[in-house]
Amino acid sequence: MLLSIVSYGLALGAVYALIGITYNVMFAASRVFSFTAGTVGMLGGVFGALCIDRLGMPVAVGFLITLAAGAGLGIITEILTVRPVLKSLDQHLYVLSTLAFALMLQQLTAIEWSTEPQPFPRLLPFGPGWFDQQFWLPLLACALTIAGLEWLYRYTLVGRAFLAISEDNYAARALGLPEQTLRLASYALAGMIGTLAGFTGGEMMLAYFGNGPLLNFYGFVPVALGGMGSNRGAVAGGLALGLFQQTANFLVGGIFASVAIFVVFILVLLVRPEGFAGAAPARRV
Amino acid sequence: MPTSAPDPLLQISDLSTGYGKIGVLHGIDLTVGPGELVALLGPNGAGKTTLLRAISGLLPRSGQVRFAGKDLSGAGPRDMVRAGLAHVVEGHRVFTQLTVFDNLLLAGYGMRRRERETQVEEALAFFPEIAAKRNDRAVTLSGGQQQMLAVAQGLVRQPRLLLLDEPSAGLSPVLVDRVLAAAGRLRDGGTAVLLVEQLIEKALRIADRVYALVRGSIVLEAAGNEPDLPARLEAAYFGHSLRPPAEPS
Amino acid sequence: MTETATLPLAAAPKRKLGGLEAWFPTAVFAAGGALLPLLGDSYLGVIATRACIYWVLVSGLNLVVGFAGQIAIGWVALLTLGAYVTSVLTAGTVMPELSPYLALLVAAAVGAVFGVIIGLPALRLRTFYFAMTTLGFATIVTQVALAWKSVTGGGVGVPGPVLPYPFASPWGFYYFCLGLAVLCTWMTSNIASSRFGRSLVAIRDAEVAAEAVGISKPALLVTVFLFSGAVAAIAGGLFASLQSYITPDAFTFDLSVLFFIAILIGGRGSILGPLLGTIILTALPEFAAPLVAWSTFLYAVLLLVIVLAVPGGIADMLDFKNRRPLERHREIRPRPELLAQILPPQARPNLLKLANVSLSFGGVRAIDGVDLEIRMGEVHGLIGPNGSGKTTMLNVISGYYAPQQGQVRLNEEILPPRAAAARAGWRIARTFQTPRLVGAESVLENVMIGATTAGRASFVASLLALPSHRRDEVQAYDAAMAALSAVGLDQLAFVRTDRLQHSELRFVEIARALVLQPSFLLLDEPAAGLSVDEIERLGALIVSISRRGTGVLLVEHHADLIFDICDRVTVLNLGKVLASGTPAEIRAHREVVNAYLGA
Repeated sequence: MLLSIVSYGLALGAVYALIGITYNVMFAASRVFSFTAGTVGMLGGVFGALCIDRLGMPVAVGFLITLAAGAGLGIITEILTVRPVLKSLDQHLYVLSTLAFALMLQQLTAIEWSTEPQPFPRLLPFGPGWFDQQFWLPLLACALTIAGLEWLYRYTLVGRAFLAISEDNYAARALGLPEQTLRLASYALAGMIGTLAGFTGGEMMLAYFGNGPLLNFYGFVPVALGGMGSNRGAVAGGLALGLFQQTANFLVGGIFASVAIFVVFILVLLVRPEGFAGAAPARRV
Repeated sequence: MPTSAPDPLLQISDLSTGYGKIGVLHGIDLTVGPGELVALLGPNGAGKTTLLRAISGLLPRSGQVRFAGKDLSGAGPRDMVRAGLAHVVEGHRVFTQLTVFDNLLLAGYGMRRRERETQVEEALAFFPEIAAKRNDRAVTLSGGQQQMLAVAQGLVRQPRLLLLDEPSAGLSPVLVDRVLAAAGRLRDGGTAVLLVEQLIEKALRIADRVYALVRGSIVLEAAGNEPDLPARLEAAYFGHSLRPPAEPS
Repeated sequence: MTETATLPLAAAPKRKLGGLEAWFPTAVFAAGGALLPLLGDSYLGVIATRACIYWVLVSGLNLVVGFAGQIAIGWVALLTLGAYVTSVLTAGTVMPELSPYLALLVAAAVGAVFGVIIGLPALRLRTFYFAMTTLGFATIVTQVALAWKSVTGGGVGVPGPVLPYPFASPWGFYYFCLGLAVLCTWMTSNIASSRFGRSLVAIRDAEVAAEAVGISKPALLVTVFLFSGAVAAIAGGLFASLQSYITPDAFTFDLSVLFFIAILIGGRGSILGPLLGTIILTALPEFAAPLVAWSTFLYAVLLLVIVLAVPGGIADMLDFKNRRPLERHREIRPRPELLAQILPPQARPNLLKLANVSLSFGGVRAIDGVDLEIRMGEVHGLIGPNGSGKTTMLNVISGYYAPQQGQVRLNEEILPPRAAAARAGWRIARTFQTPRLVGAESVLENVMIGATTAGRASFVASLLALPSHRRDEVQAYDAAMAALSAVGLDQLAFVRTDRLQHSELRFVEIARALVLQPSFLLLDEPAAGLSVDEIERLGALIVSISRRGTGVLLVEHHADLIFDICDRVTVLNLGKVLASGTPAEIRAHREVVNAYLGA
């Protein structure tokens, strides 16, 4: 039983962490959060099931198509819902535009795919074991993403350019960095990370349009707790959340577990609005 | 009044810009010749920083901007950089989470790797102090060193014109002299410099020509070595009116 | 133009769609609604009843989302709450059964409490975070409804309340709901044209300035959450009655979306807009059967289109008055002689005194041991190079920053250090470096915000348009018009503020400050962006203001203006006082000149 809690907890936690990273990458590039992060995660599962199960593609091909779809959705998010709003004076419009887009995607999925959770295919050809692929795939994905991002930021010029526009957008523009293109690329990357989360977590969560709001919320909790923009915080927060959720599930049942998570979330935010690893807000006047 | 060189490197005509509804600059005309160091002086709030931002394309503007023989009136910062203009912004803003070397590499983003690395080394050679700290993160540098790093960033692409926005701000007098001396050396080496400065005396010492900007308009243009310049500048800054004090209530 | 000391009162305030006199949306709605049964279509009746119920909720949520600008997406939680509380209380399963009316009232009370609980995080959290928490609440409530089988019947559900005669029949019930909906329209319209409505919008669009005129964000938001929660719960009870039987899956996320989008499509800051929005969104899927499955998708598309293309919503599209072109070459001509109408003579000689004030940010000493005195009736200039600490000083005096050392005293009383919203009570008013005004409201409404602290009517009094509310409105209107006339902008009183030129906005801010009848007026670079003529007139206006007894602190870069009108000037450099004296003394002071010229 304990083993099951730990496996499910860490695996789901890894999915949440990856969605948290999706939020963070989008945030780093544009200084706004997007409701599309969780939706893209949900679509990772749906596209995976669509390509592999319904269209009969090989797993690897389905995977690549899903990633490409993620990148595409990230790009559309930036062009349609973020870029036009960044220019306007009312900074909070991005909440509405990204929410609208996320809802559109969700409803489209419900109508065109199914309103019921659909099964997600087995990805690798070996059978179930005590530490099944549905558990270690998300964890592997999480680890690879973190490692990949570290490599990107430390060893490629593009990665360092991402860091530059994230830290000081104005100075980056003055230096002649192609800020618009870099932001677009960041969103594409974020989209891929999101669909990776949904794809590797597909067997656990099934291909279900309702995963959208679920991932939106549970993917955001690590960001809120770990501090916005902090990927390490997101991973720690995500894994902790996953374990806490499964433990609470086991002890008091699913519904009270959700209530518990939510209460903790609110309390932490009220005490430390910037999260554990975040910075205090800047001067207003 | 000196005439500008026959073919100015930078020629601004009737430039106006502002922030949202606030009009800051009104019909500015300005030129910088090749290899010239031009000082742009003026009191606070005059619009000096705004003018540099308009020139480098960070702010949208109306009017004409000709640089290196090309009409770049609609260009953004990326195009201006590629045309050979570098803007070192105010406040020595470098990327603190990245190393000195990375900061310089980014200045050469888009160049070929070999070329970029060579020119980063040349830029570093100009400021041996920070060359020694090449692998340290920029956050560990002092204010003066960060300013030098910012100027070095501007040099990586070997620009024909360097815009320097108040490089002396927040620096001790010794460092100020160092930075301004570097600007002078650049001019001697053939790079044109448009220098915005608060410290009039020090700027006048190295400037070939001077503009004074007051409340969004150019009110004075002169050669750097004209004898009565300081007095004329003071008059320009504080307005010509020296009316008697208001009646006591 | 003849100048007279008394102004002719302009016609009753005409505002854009959302702020029309309280009676307009109410009357139209009531009339249309009352006539509906004549059509005899019972299906139409059900839709109309549903629309009325939704509008009861949306009218309250409108104050939260449309006026206060809080992105509260999960308000279906309160609908759920209200529905279950009412149903359980009338079913008699947990306690002896109550009459439906009483049950509705209890539900309202519960809704009010939970409205505050759900809304409170708004005071601490950034927009996106708060939106997330409201979404979380919505999910939680539904899940609790599912789990708490003994009370809510779990997945099986409970029957809804049945209202007694004459409201039991479908049309009877319709009239009941219509009556409540009309009542809500009237009440929220009253709030919209009260100081509460204006304060909510100020919090939304100009929060920093709202504080400066004395608006307390926490108190106001709590009030609005109480009201909004209560009406949402009542709507829930009605909803349960309409459905006859409720289960947790009747309260979908789609409903939350509908409520929220209805407000945004209708237009923020409006009553009629969201009303139309609610009716449209409720009716649309019913009339286009194939659309039902796509309804939420279409709502989302509509939301996106609104956000990108017409952020002002229906209200904006119907705002024809503000499309009329304005005169191109407008001049601002203040009439300082009219100041007598807005600034009463000061009761006593006032003195604003700063003693040894210091404040550091990080490692930088922004202000270092500064002493400053502003006397009644004096124009005191505060100048200094960039970074000298001028604006920081202003922010300390106006209560946004707390000094780490030293105090600010008004007539020997120490001003509480970090209490910007309290400054209005001390009659200290200010303007800002960049004008902070509500662009979507009229100039007059922006200036009326200055009269917030002078208002006496309570929220409930405004809700019900009691005489105290009407008195407040008349007084605020008069004061604001007087101030606008004094600064020379009364011709533009009913124009949407974001259509004005920058220089006009500066004078509007001054008018807003004047309404507070300040003993001390703090001006933050009011001349920036003004033409030479305008600066001259500004100077004359400031001098006239000071002659009425108000002490003026003028932070400026503009040397001419400072030397022309100031009685005393203090020069700051690097956070310290470099010199203080009359303008002539300062102008001749070698060190000052050097500091500016950077020698």
